[in-house]
Order: sequence, then C-alpha cells, then structure tokens
Amino acid sequence: MRLTLQMLISHGRVARRIGLGPESRINMLRNILTGLVRHERIETTRVRADEVRFYAEKLIDYAKKGDTDEKAMKMASFWLTEKDLVPKLFKVLAPRFENHSTGYTRMARIPNRENLDRAQMAVLEYKGNPFPPLYPVKKENELTLINQLLKGYREERARARVLGAEA
Amino acid sequence: MMNLSALVHSLRCSLLRIESRLLQISGLDSQLAPALAVNGPSLLPQIEQDPQQDEEHDPEQTPGLLDSILWMAAPKKRRTIEVNRTRRRAERKLIKVKTNIEPCPECGHLKQKHILCGFCYAKICKETGLIRQQIKQMEGGPLRAPPVETVILYEGETPSEQDGGKRIVERPRKRPAWFRN
Repeated sequence: MRLTLQMLISHGRVARRIGLGPESRINMLRNILTGLVRHERIETTRVRADEVRFYAEKLIDYAKKGDTDEKAMKMASFWLTEKDLVPKLFKVLAPRFENHSTGYTRMARIPNRENLDRAQMAVLEYKGNPFPPLYPVKKENELTLINQLLKGYREERARARVLGAEA
Repeated sequence: MMNLSALVHSLRCSLLRIESRLLQISGLDSQLAPALAVNGPSLLPQIEQDPQQDEEHDPEQTPGLLDSILWMAAPKKRRTIEVNRTRRRAERKLIKVKTNIEPCPECGHLKQKHILCGFCYAKICKETGLIRQQIKQMEGGPLRAPPVETVILYEGETPSEQDGGKRIVERPRKRPAWFRN
C-alpha cells in the first residue's frame, strides 16, 4: 500500500524537468548539443550544461563506432540538426578522442548572467578545442626570491657532494 | 476585500437556504411560523416564504461589510520596538556572509572559489570572439563547417608537423601570454 504522496514530494528524484515537457527537453538539448558540436565551446545555464554533458559524451561514444555503423549514423543525424556537422563529428571529434575512454567534455561555472534573472551560467567545451584554455597553465617563475634561494641551496649541496666525493 | 466579504456572506445565505429547503422537503421541520394548517406537500409555504426570506436578506446585504468586520482578524496590541527588532534581525533574515571569495592569482580581481574569474573569462571570450569572426570570414556562409581540425596561429608563427591537415586561422597580432599551447 503506497503511503507517500507521490505527486507532492520529490525526495531522491534525479531526473530534471526542463522546458515544457520531455519532448521539449529533448529538443532543447538537441539544439544546445548542435551548437556545442559546431562551436566546441558554448555558454549556457548551469543546469542545461549539466544535462547536455551526458548527451555530448554519449554522442562521442556512438561516433567512435564509425560512420559505417547504422545505429551511429541514425543517432548522429537525429541529434545534430545541422547536417554539415555530421561529417565533422565522425572525422574530427571521434579521432580526437580515440585514446580517451571517458571525459570528453569540460564544464566550468562562470559568474551569474548580468540580466534581471541573474541565472547561474556555465561554459561547456569539448577537450582539445583550438581556443584559449579556460584554466591557464601556471608556470613556475624562476625569478621569485624563494626559487632563487632554493636554486642556490641546490647548487651548494651539489658542490659539497662533489668535494666530498673527491676527498 | 469588500467583494470577498459580500461573496462569503452570500455563500452563507445560500447554504442556509439550501438547508431549510432540504428540511422542508424531508418534512422534518415544524418550527416555521407561517406554515399552513393543511398537512400536505410543502410547496405553498415555500412560495410564501421566499419573498419573506429575500426581505430579511436585503436589509442585511448592504451592511454586509459592517457585519463581516466583526469577525476579521486584527492586532490586539501595538508590537513594541523590541519585539519588532527581534523579528527583523533574526538569523534567517540577515544576509549570509560568504567565506568563499578570494583574489584571482592571475589578475587580482575577486572571484568565488568554485567559479571562474570574471575578468579572465571576459578576456578569453573577447579573443575567441575575434577568432570566430575570422572563421566566419573563412567559411563565407552558414552551415559550411569543414570536417577538419582547426589551429590558430599568431604573427610570425608557422604550422608545425602536428598541424599538418588542419585548417589554419591566422590572427594578426602577437600571441598573448595566457594562450600557450
């Protein structure tokens, strides 16, 4: 006998409701995914980016099967509304991620949108895209004081070891 | 608000009317004064009573507001400033202090720990915008994405052996320091 209020309480439900219904959700995600495959880096709301991420990675998994595979071609032609991206998917994105097993996308949060709604935004990109990196690579600066002192200490120890080996 | 009270009053009257009518039909009422001596179907007393009930209700309808004011909620005493202060300054109504703000190591602007720096991201966006304009010029129309990789070269750079079959996008400026490959 069901004792809980199924309609009013949603504890533990993980499926998100986006847009006007399930069909609208899929259409919206399809548009965002087409944009992502075309531009390789897009900016949307955090929730939409999180939803698209799953579909983006699954699309790459299908693309890895090759364009001769019937199921893969059907999936690609369904999910990509602009048909000039289907060859790009199979010839550019699939070979790019040959050696990766998972994690083809990267999602990073950005400051809230400037509009009245102050929506939480995120940037979603395929790894290996040609644009400037979102997380700049930090190089160690040799000219800082601490690094110079450590360098001097290492050279002194090397000199002492050489003298000790000679004597 | 006046419409609401008049509506509630009219609802109450209609409910009472329905109740009395049900009682009449069932024949269980015996306290109605203008009831006829005839012990028959109670249709005639109904026709007589309706104008009487309407007359009773009409004088009540216009002071409906005055009648309903008597049962509306109202504060009994003035809330003191101490009580007001404790309500207004309760923990849940104060703005929470954020402890996850730190300066960005690259530019020094403030950022939240789990969110990218706004200034650095705007910088990257501007450069990608210019790169995309260049790509748009190269493609020369919509829906013409070539099925090849892209590589971006700045002034004085030549494509290496890795960038063999790639489409080259040239940017006529010096390579920025934050865009190392």
